[in-house]
Amino acid sequence: MFVPHSNIDLNTIFDELKISSLEELFSHIPKELLIDGGLDFDESLSELEATELFETIASKNASKLVCFAGGGHYDIYLPPTVKSLTMRPEFMTSYTPYQAEISQGILQVLFEFQSLVCDITEMELANASLYDGATSIAEAISVAINKTKRDNIIISQGFNPNSKEVINTLIDGDKFNIKYIELDNYLFPEDYEFNEDDAAFVVSFPHYEGSAQDLTELVNKAHAKGLIAICYVDPSMLGVLKTPGSMGFDIVVAEGQSIGTPLSFGGPTVGWFATKKDLARLVPGRIIGETIDSNHKKTYVMTLRAREQDIRREKASSNICTNQTLNAIGSAIHLSWMGPEGIYQVGYQAIQKAAYMKSELKNSGFKIKNESTSLREFLIETKIPTSEVLTKMGQKGFLAGISYSDNELLIALTEKRTKKEIDNYIDCFKEVNNG
Amino acid sequence: MVSGGNASSLPLVGGSAEPTIRELSRPGRKASKYPNLDVPEVDLNHPALKNEKAPLPEVSEHDLVMHYSRLAHRNFAVDLGFYPLGSCTMKYNPRFADYVASIPNFSNTHPATPSEFTQGSLEILHILEDYLTEITGMDHASFQPPAGASGELTGLLIIKRYLQNQKLDHKKDIIVPDSAHGTNPASAKMAGFNVVEVATDQRGMVNIEDLKSLVNENTAGLMLTNPNTGGLFEEEILTISNIIHEAGGLLYYDGANLNAIVGVCRPGDMGFDIVHSNLHKTFATPHGGGGPGSGPVAVKDYLREYLPGPIVVKNSDNYSWYTPEFSIGRMHGYHGNFLVALRALVYMKLLGKEGLDTLGSYAVLNARYLSSKVSKHLPLAYDEPCMHEFVATVKELKKSHKIKAYDVGKALLDKGFHSPTIYFPLIVEEALMFEPTETQTVETLDDLAESIKLIVEELSAPGVNLTDYPKNLPVGRPNELIPAKHLTVHWGDFELLELTE
Repeated sequence: MFVPHSNIDLNTIFDELKISSLEELFSHIPKELLIDGGLDFDESLSELEATELFETIASKNASKLVCFAGGGHYDIYLPPTVKSLTMRPEFMTSYTPYQAEISQGILQVLFEFQSLVCDITEMELANASLYDGATSIAEAISVAINKTKRDNIIISQGFNPNSKEVINTLIDGDKFNIKYIELDNYLFPEDYEFNEDDAAFVVSFPHYEGSAQDLTELVNKAHAKGLIAICYVDPSMLGVLKTPGSMGFDIVVAEGQSIGTPLSFGGPTVGWFATKKDLARLVPGRIIGETIDSNHKKTYVMTLRAREQDIRREKASSNICTNQTLNAIGSAIHLSWMGPEGIYQVGYQAIQKAAYMKSELKNSGFKIKNESTSLREFLIETKIPTSEVLTKMGQKGFLAGISYSDNELLIALTEKRTKKEIDNYIDCFKEVNNG
Repeated sequence: MVSGGNASSLPLVGGSAEPTIRELSRPGRKASKYPNLDVPEVDLNHPALKNEKAPLPEVSEHDLVMHYSRLAHRNFAVDLGFYPLGSCTMKYNPRFADYVASIPNFSNTHPATPSEFTQGSLEILHILEDYLTEITGMDHASFQPPAGASGELTGLLIIKRYLQNQKLDHKKDIIVPDSAHGTNPASAKMAGFNVVEVATDQRGMVNIEDLKSLVNENTAGLMLTNPNTGGLFEEEILTISNIIHEAGGLLYYDGANLNAIVGVCRPGDMGFDIVHSNLHKTFATPHGGGGPGSGPVAVKDYLREYLPGPIVVKNSDNYSWYTPEFSIGRMHGYHGNFLVALRALVYMKLLGKEGLDTLGSYAVLNARYLSSKVSKHLPLAYDEPCMHEFVATVKELKKSHKIKAYDVGKALLDKGFHSPTIYFPLIVEEALMFEPTETQTVETLDDLAESIKLIVEELSAPGVNLTDYPKNLPVGRPNELIPAKHLTVHWGDFELLELTE
């Protein structure tokens, strides 16, 4: 499949190479290494047969669960316009824009992506993407360690547990002390005192539990002790949230799935990374810059390349090579499609719908753990174990949320959830919890 | 030229610079419309909220579509022409996989959905693990790593954790060939190892004597790609693996060049303990302008409990997630780049046994043919049979005519081809690394060789100004100093630069 050669073509090639079979290509490989009898696989499928196979396997996933789960990945409306532009074959089937003259399309979209990310976070310099939100936090921590040459990481407990696992994998615990700070009533303690040997203050905005606070004073306190302040922000809420830049953060990272990428079972998505220009030389990954060509025409190129692994090798700022460009393109196009009013609606309606849902659940006798400080996402106490709630709600067509503890469920709202879906959810939720 | 050449560059030609989406913005325009709020509105008085609107562009949907479509026109791609970028395996990406990856039950599933509702997705990963381990000769795999470099780091962290468990913490040296991909030493450093470089011999392979002199009780392992970055099969691979294993080290296989050997031979049989695969290279998933990729890591049985988890296990009547006992931990927020893995499985199913048995053979056949043709116009770096890619050098032309690898690459763009990889591997002077892949026709390969011949003639002619190339594209050679010096990395920066200069 996909090999174009006819027998005539093969004869042409064999003649040029003075061989008579494919096997002769490998006469220099030790005989004992050559596969004898071929690999143990079924024969090839036609597209029709493959359609049946993959549609059958897909049907083993529950279909169309109404999504009330978040935790970093959100069921936001993704317009077909954004999908079809992102999947243009010129974007999909090219690679890293090493040759600027034939890659102005990718380069300019990425330059626009960087600019859009900077504008909505109020930062100065963004890179052209990292793998996902979780790995972006770890990359940001590495920048802070390199900048401050200090060993302590002060990080809020209010992160998705998976993100914390990624941080623990990627930041060497033998060399660095990762200190998780318990939230106080779902907020980072305002009276927390930083030390002069702390490298970074890392906090999620909003916290994983859904509560949010103005972090300006904490950032000021961290800066006073020389820390790098790192904000992990929910990008789909940036139409309504205070910007990380306005609160003084040095580095902003995000799980960018909700802007431009379907839920995708968590991957591929995209990590956003933005910072201030004085940290430019420590930034991981690719950066696109604007310049002029030999005829003084506006041109885009990859820049600050001396940070990257293919040039600096073991001295590089990160080992990242292949990134998540296509998802970054999706982010840029989705942001442009939403505009200031659209991204406002996405954030505002999510908070309003969460407020309605919290109020209705409370009226039905359920306890909301963080009612007043939460925005689009909140914690609720369940009356039976959350694993049972998730199973039973799933059978009724809902992804009820994410299990936070044995009897606490994290529920997320987006602008997509309708009043009818919320009302149905609550009816089922009551039945499940009382049943 | 009948294919791969000039025709492919036509969409790139012409037109003035495309404005940025911000320059197209006008107050009051919009592309989006959302439903009216359908719940009772309450006052939102929250200290984390702001009053002003986000400064995003305001454009009509038609303007938006035209803008990004015009930008797409200014970009070369596998779907437009021949992309012989060495080390990147720019083969045809089957469109059918796009369809499967867009089936809503796969693409719209939230990653935190309990496994009882995602049995289909778990089954995909389980089947793909079987395919990958059979192709590579390994036993188990994890799909956590989202790209090749992440796979490398995963492998090194597995080596580290395994050696710690064996109380061999002193083993801190990772041996990497001087010809290796830059990610190898960068990943080894990130994992906390010392990078020890082993030299390449005259033939272009690992220098065995040098390797022996570097191996000692501190050796933790060796990272190697086979075929290596010169496109040559490491013929002494069994000797190499013996040397490393006898010193108590582990062998890591960088899967960047796996396409050369699929169906031919297997890293597991060569003695490798850990293998990463680049699904976006070998298994034909779209490169996306730089990503996403997927870099699953496969290991021999004795390393299974170190894999990043959770991994999929098959029970009697269902699939579930399992976190290995000594797992190095997560490498990704959820399950890696699942939809990329799905596309790779689609590709493998379409190829089937007959396609996978011969995949490496045809990739090598095309490279061998192209190298034979190109070698008539440019000398090759090594006088050895190449595998799926080969390296030519322009060092003689540089001496005689000041023509650099860079110039040949730029001139090729004018002829409608992507440039080969240039200046890599670092140990070859003025290197041009060609990887044709198995999906190109004989005519396209002939066209490229013919273009190389014409370019050598054209650039060697008297009075040629090399910096004029490329001549026929939307932009010429970029000034790469301005953005680095002035950090023009945001659309607010450039105007500032013009004002100050």
